[in-house]
Amino acid sequence: MLLATGCDEDFLPLVTSFVKEAALCHGLGRDEAMGLTLAGEEIFVHLCRTAKPGREPVEIRCGSGGYYVQAEFSFTAEDLDLRAFNLTTSIALDDDAELEGMGLVIASRLVDRFQLSFEQARHVRLSLVQEKSYPLHEEDSPPVCPPLSRVSIRPPSPEEVKLIARQARHCYLGHYLSDFFKYPGKLVDMLAAGEYQGLAAIGPAGEVGGAILWNWAGRRTVECFGPYVFTEDSDSVMAESLVEGCIGAIARTHAVGLINTRPTPQLPEQHFERLGTLKASTEDGASMTVHAWFRLMREDEGCAVWVHEDLQEFVQRECRRLVLPREIRRAQNAGENLPAHSVISVQSDRLQGRAVLRPMWPGSDCEANIEKHVHLMRQEGIPNLFFMMDLGQAWQADFTSGLLHHGFTPCLLLPYAGEADVILLQLSESGS
Amino acid sequence: MSRRQPPFERLVPDYVKRFEPYIPSKPDDVLKKLYGCSRLYRLNNNENPLGPPPSACRSIRRFPPARASIYPSGDAYHLRCKLGETFGMHPDQFLVGNGANEVIAFAIKAFCQQGDNIVTADKTFAVYEWVAEFSGFEARLVPLRDYGFDPDGMIDSIDERTKILFVCNPNNPTGSWWNEETLRSFLNRVDGRQIVVVDEAYREFIEGRPFTDSMALIAEYPNLVVFRTFSKMYALAGLRIGYLAGSREVVDIIRRTCVVYSVNGLAQVAAFAALDDEEHVLRSREQVRQGKEFLTRELGLLGLDVVHGEGNFMMVHLPMSDSLAYRKLMTRGVMVRGMTGFRFPNWIRVTMSHMEAMERFVEALAEVLQGNSCPVV
Repeated sequence: MLLATGCDEDFLPLVTSFVKEAALCHGLGRDEAMGLTLAGEEIFVHLCRTAKPGREPVEIRCGSGGYYVQAEFSFTAEDLDLRAFNLTTSIALDDDAELEGMGLVIASRLVDRFQLSFEQARHVRLSLVQEKSYPLHEEDSPPVCPPLSRVSIRPPSPEEVKLIARQARHCYLGHYLSDFFKYPGKLVDMLAAGEYQGLAAIGPAGEVGGAILWNWAGRRTVECFGPYVFTEDSDSVMAESLVEGCIGAIARTHAVGLINTRPTPQLPEQHFERLGTLKASTEDGASMTVHAWFRLMREDEGCAVWVHEDLQEFVQRECRRLVLPREIRRAQNAGENLPAHSVISVQSDRLQGRAVLRPMWPGSDCEANIEKHVHLMRQEGIPNLFFMMDLGQAWQADFTSGLLHHGFTPCLLLPYAGEADVILLQLSESGS
Repeated sequence: MSRRQPPFERLVPDYVKRFEPYIPSKPDDVLKKLYGCSRLYRLNNNENPLGPPPSACRSIRRFPPARASIYPSGDAYHLRCKLGETFGMHPDQFLVGNGANEVIAFAIKAFCQQGDNIVTADKTFAVYEWVAEFSGFEARLVPLRDYGFDPDGMIDSIDERTKILFVCNPNNPTGSWWNEETLRSFLNRVDGRQIVVVDEAYREFIEGRPFTDSMALIAEYPNLVVFRTFSKMYALAGLRIGYLAGSREVVDIIRRTCVVYSVNGLAQVAAFAALDDEEHVLRSREQVRQGKEFLTRELGLLGLDVVHGEGNFMMVHLPMSDSLAYRKLMTRGVMVRGMTGFRFPNWIRVTMSHMEAMERFVEALAEVLQGNSCPVV
């Protein structure tokens, strides 16, 4: 569903009605639909108040992702002061403005996921995602799966997906599982919508012996979950078949990397390389270490990466360890003029307690901008804060000093996760 | 001047949006610099290390530079006549393309329209699948059975919208092949309802076995199309030339979608000369035989499983990611083909080459498997 409208607050009722009715039509409950509607209202008002007269219309697309509804605002920002799209910016662009005046922040609070991204030619997309409510999985004991002499690997049916969710909850501790295993119906919808894909190991009598799931975590990166094995003997051959099935399914897509940040004990390590570790804070405030694994899906033809001197040692060490052929180039500001105001995008996921910051636009205020974002995320109670820096874009290196100063530390080098490799930095608990 | 971006969302078909461009390997000099190696053994593309046959080399040397300014024969007239003589067929039964990849695209364009599908195997040469999908047609992929094309599975996948069945024979990368009995049985079951393409890119490497004379079968099965290339046995990969053969009626249809003048003049004269050089074929087969014997023995000593049949290549199963093995081997100056893209994760494919290259490959692989420290990149 698409609505194109001029940036004029007179059209606000039209916009809110559109978002609300679309949300209800796509199956959101009243409360969730209202959250999405109010978030859309905040976004539209923010745009109207920052736009110059006569600008091109804003397009609002509402669609269903099966288990969620998304409202996406897209527009060209040619006539806009881009700093208006920092989540930290108040409409009045007044440093002393109260948080209540900050429409983007308010919008981000009202929905489950919020993402601001910039594309070519200053095209801006603001995505608001509200998930449907699903009943929690009841803690019952699914039937134990006996050892299976042979299995076929195929996509599971919806009923099998629900069984997979129950079996996974029964067989694995919580830290091995993503939240969606708590909601079998949500998992069914995630797979049915195609955003997630999966394979199950099915025994001769229809037993569900194991499963693996995956989804696109970026333009060129796929993230897999599992493999989960439910048989009494923790069949390693089945686990390898599931991983090979996943690899085969994405082998001829544009995926360059396959990552796994929740490996189970059955992960066939010979198919992966150890990428590094992350710290994660769980819902109950506990801290856990997450091991990240990956494999390249292609032969590495090498590339150049731009690195600030303060990260050079990390990048060199990781390239040597992972045998990545890279021409490491020093990225250094040589006193050239920069725009006054940088822009940082935020992708927040309140359900996962996680936010990822990405630099969108360079600026001489980047250190102060990082500080504002860290402060805001702390205020918002988001414990897991990351910053992704694309080493294929030299200007992003300008953010390095500010990041390190405010307590971010590099933890992973993700090969080809951007224009070139991406460094994932994580804010330490004591940072800023 | 308008700097406005075209409306890609509207202009680009969905099936193209889903595709990323294929990125070919960087040139050797760039790769050597990136991986820090001074020499590179190319064991990745199934090229013939002997180079073109001497007769083709002579033709290349004699090619007058002034002819570069003149258009070549638009449909490779002389080469088609020579192919006709060689196989006892009419020249119009041949269509020459800028490599066999181009004739794959011609055939799919000629027979498929929106809603149609092709059938092939899941673990085979990728170009049938790619061309179909980026042209907006479904590619139905039938799992290999015992590393070979499964005729029953392919027949079962046919529906009323199936237009072409692609059989890679011998299969790249497993080397499995259908004998005449299997191919005839398959063609009989298809019963002329679809086009059957048999891609024989590696056909000239087969020796000592009763391989199907598929060219002769064209007279009996007018829906049979045979692909061959000058890139592998005849080592003219750099000039890009391949061809298809079929009944005159089928070739006439495919010719309607082909791009004339796509094959350059140098490639045409080199291919023409290459066809006569039987001695080159025998020497190449000998080299492949020696390479396979050596690698089977040496890789067996390393405890590695191998799969090979016909063709100048061998698959090797590794206890590690093939993409990691590729990188580690590259730092040691050995370039192989990782098999993830062929849906054989943790396998590599190695081209049979001269003994120095084979020995270097085994040595480098042994180092990689022993976990020796890698040279600093």
